[in-house]
Amino acid sequence: MTGILGIYLFDKRWNARNFGVFGLMALQHRGQETAGLELFGEQRAKVAGKGLAEQVLAPNQGTSAGMEKGYVCLGGVSPYPQEEAEIQPIALSNAVSAAIDGKITAVKGYGWSRSATYEDNLRAAFGRSTTGCSIDEVKEFFWRCMGGFSYVAVNDRNEMVAGRGALGVKPLVLGKMGFEGGIVASESCVMDIIGERMPISPAENIDPGESRIFTPMSAHSERCTSCSNRAYCSFEYVYLARPDSFVNDIPVYRVRRNIGRKLAEEGPADADVVIGVPETAIPFAMAYSNETGIPVEKGFELTGRRIRSAMKPNQLERLKGVQLKLNVISEAVKGKRVVLIDDSVVRGNTLANIVYLMKEKGAKEIHVRIGSPHIISHCPFGVEVPPEDELIGKHLPEEKIAEVVGADSFRYLSIDGFLDAVMIKREDLCVGCFGGKYPEEELD
Amino acid sequence: MKILVVGGGGREHAIALSLEGSVHGPKISCLSDVTNPGINAVVKRSGGVYFNGDVNSPDCVSETARRCGADMVFVGPEEPNFHGVPDRMDKDGIGCIGARRNVAELEMSKASMRDLQWKYKIPGRLWYKKFKSYDEAVPYIEEFADSIAIKPARQAGGKGVKVIEDFQVYLQEDKRRVKREHAESIISEYMKGYEDVDYKILIEERVWGPEYTVHCFTDGKTVLPMPAVQDNKHAFEGDLGLETGGMGSISCGMNLRLGTDADEDQAILTQSEYQGSVDIVKSMIDSIQKETGDRYRGVVAGQMMLTPVWGPTVIEMYSRLGDPEAANVLSALKTDLVDICEAIMGGRLNTVKAEFDDQAVVVKAVCPEGYPNRRDLAAGHPISVDVANSPSGKSQDGILWASADCAAKGAGCGSVVTGGSRAVECVGRGKDIPEASRNAEALVGNVRLEDGWKLFHRSDIGSERSMERRIALARTAREIYQYRERKGLLGKRMLWIPGKGFVEVG
Repeated sequence: MTGILGIYLFDKRWNARNFGVFGLMALQHRGQETAGLELFGEQRAKVAGKGLAEQVLAPNQGTSAGMEKGYVCLGGVSPYPQEEAEIQPIALSNAVSAAIDGKITAVKGYGWSRSATYEDNLRAAFGRSTTGCSIDEVKEFFWRCMGGFSYVAVNDRNEMVAGRGALGVKPLVLGKMGFEGGIVASESCVMDIIGERMPISPAENIDPGESRIFTPMSAHSERCTSCSNRAYCSFEYVYLARPDSFVNDIPVYRVRRNIGRKLAEEGPADADVVIGVPETAIPFAMAYSNETGIPVEKGFELTGRRIRSAMKPNQLERLKGVQLKLNVISEAVKGKRVVLIDDSVVRGNTLANIVYLMKEKGAKEIHVRIGSPHIISHCPFGVEVPPEDELIGKHLPEEKIAEVVGADSFRYLSIDGFLDAVMIKREDLCVGCFGGKYPEEELD
Repeated sequence: MKILVVGGGGREHAIALSLEGSVHGPKISCLSDVTNPGINAVVKRSGGVYFNGDVNSPDCVSETARRCGADMVFVGPEEPNFHGVPDRMDKDGIGCIGARRNVAELEMSKASMRDLQWKYKIPGRLWYKKFKSYDEAVPYIEEFADSIAIKPARQAGGKGVKVIEDFQVYLQEDKRRVKREHAESIISEYMKGYEDVDYKILIEERVWGPEYTVHCFTDGKTVLPMPAVQDNKHAFEGDLGLETGGMGSISCGMNLRLGTDADEDQAILTQSEYQGSVDIVKSMIDSIQKETGDRYRGVVAGQMMLTPVWGPTVIEMYSRLGDPEAANVLSALKTDLVDICEAIMGGRLNTVKAEFDDQAVVVKAVCPEGYPNRRDLAAGHPISVDVANSPSGKSQDGILWASADCAAKGAGCGSVVTGGSRAVECVGRGKDIPEASRNAEALVGNVRLEDGWKLFHRSDIGSERSMERRIALARTAREIYQYRERKGLLGKRMLWIPGKGFVEVG
């Protein structure tokens, strides 16, 4: 997954650069390994590299060559990519750049080549289906794409198009800057940071199959006619999105609070304290505490920069992340029976590490509760899930996992509990990673 | 009776239709720069004459009124008021609905309007500063201004207003630069050619809340208010993008209710907010008359916003009916418009009652692509409205022609070409705003450009989703201003400036 951003300002006097940098910082939680920003004005300029948006793009640092100005801006932040993956935004052709969240799995009328890279396939498909690079053609290319994705693309006329694939797996919202222009981004928190502060709703949801085209003469919404069923990504609500964002018009924080309540209902425990694993599981823990009356405590202190350890590229990096991020505060756990809440369990190693550290600091009992159902299958739409033979939830029952991680008990949230919490109809959600069943699209 | 309508847009088409519906059966003539096909039809039906000429020239209007033997002149747009057309009519002894030059100052000089509002301590006044030159404004923008609206200090066809929210300090440098550059272009671009005001740049505090317009008929003594109307200024769906003259407007009842039978809380305004807004407009009329010694006869409107600072707050004043808002109020008007006009001219408006039905009205403007910033591209396209598809199947019911010319040089006889602005306004009615919106939407589909150039409009105006948000926005603003009211803080702004101390504004 990736955080994507597009900014279109009608008045060419604006420079979208700093808006772009701070916008990507607001999306940083969606990817912390690479950052890229392309500006379109009188000239076109791109800065991209490995590292955090702040490090790669350095806001307010004056001007690096060619980065002076542009009233249109395209950007992306990504987590660890496969080795050969290109840093977003990518070039679809000499004329068109795009930032894509998720995965395009097929393009109608194009035979996907197994020997070519993902990006080369996209370029070949794009070249095949377009004769020029008018923004309508770019839009129609994305309408032919299948899979779970959202996109923002800009052509060499500085026109922009942004939209969601027909399944709507990946989120995308539209925000405003008064009469000055529009912003599209993966999440609504971007609008709080760089957009106009609107008391009612910071951003408008872009519907599956919907596109917004921005030119000096328009910012119209258009809809792809071949709309299939919806398949909103469940994992956005569990882990990916920021709690201050709205995803598909639903406040993420409300879902996380609901999950905490459901956990209290499904997995009660005789305990003295509730502790959430930072950052994502903190709202789960607070809601669990409010529901049960068991006090919530701060269990950990972090060393260094706030990172999302689950997105780190390898086991060593993840453990390093966990150990630096999660130093246990002994006073909070010593001699206590602890309900420890985390958002998800993939392999179980980092969880085992946390449980071990907590016991070492004197926790008497540890009852692990997980804010999502078991992960038993891969994600075809770009959320990084390891091979199935690494997934602890696919192979071991809850009692066994408890033993492996060293906890006194272990419970997942049930699928039904999750569906209640998320407040979206089951048929509109993709729960593939929890149940192994994925949404289908018809190739006509 | 013979009436000359001055102006040739959608507003004037609405005025002409309303006058045509009078029991007095007036002969309606029109003067405008080009020939509006809709008004032309009214003129033909009623036995009047269509004149092409300069509506801003008192000589031209005077001569035209004489030629058609007008008993009354109804001025549509604001510029003829600023140019003294109503003053000239008074001199000629012809009754006129239109604000005289002195009182039209309320609209023409946005700076004088604020001066007046502060001098007479009229509620709903925004904090402001006016400047005669760019150099005067710059230090101010650099040092103090945060979230502000920068405007040309004169009404300049509704153009040149920039609202910049400057709250995020990490983006301040970029925003201040654009503010400076915009202030500069107000002088060099938007105010160019307007030598009739001293002050050129106006800076006002930025406020938020739902906007609405309250129009009133007045003879200077009596004020008859019309239903509140909400216009939509953004060019594109979902309140996105460029500022326009108005892409569509909604109304229902006097206080912008969701529907005729909607509950009290399903409205953008409460009854008392509506009444408060009318009172503000009345005070503005009183103060401009006191200040100038001149009489206000015609239409006046407060373009308002329900803000957390004040509740009902004046954004700007109009010295005429708004466009497209005119279509809302005039299609709800039950009283004979000619009777109202005669009462205004005779100074006996107290003897008539202006009555309005409480049906929902939604107006949607249909524009050729290119509007508002590339009018050159939006102009010159042949346009038609498919009459067969209209609800009645025979007439252009609900269609108001706006920026369109049916007598353009080079165009075939009977054909109409676009003028570059909003081409057609579609008027839908219904029991509630979403229904009226759907009815307007059905009419939009009948408008077509013959050469394949694209048209656009705002399908979201008046939709359920949009109404829900507008009502919620009003509720949020209401909660804050009512809290301030209870605390005695309405309109007050208090600051603690470190090193300088306590400052109170308002």
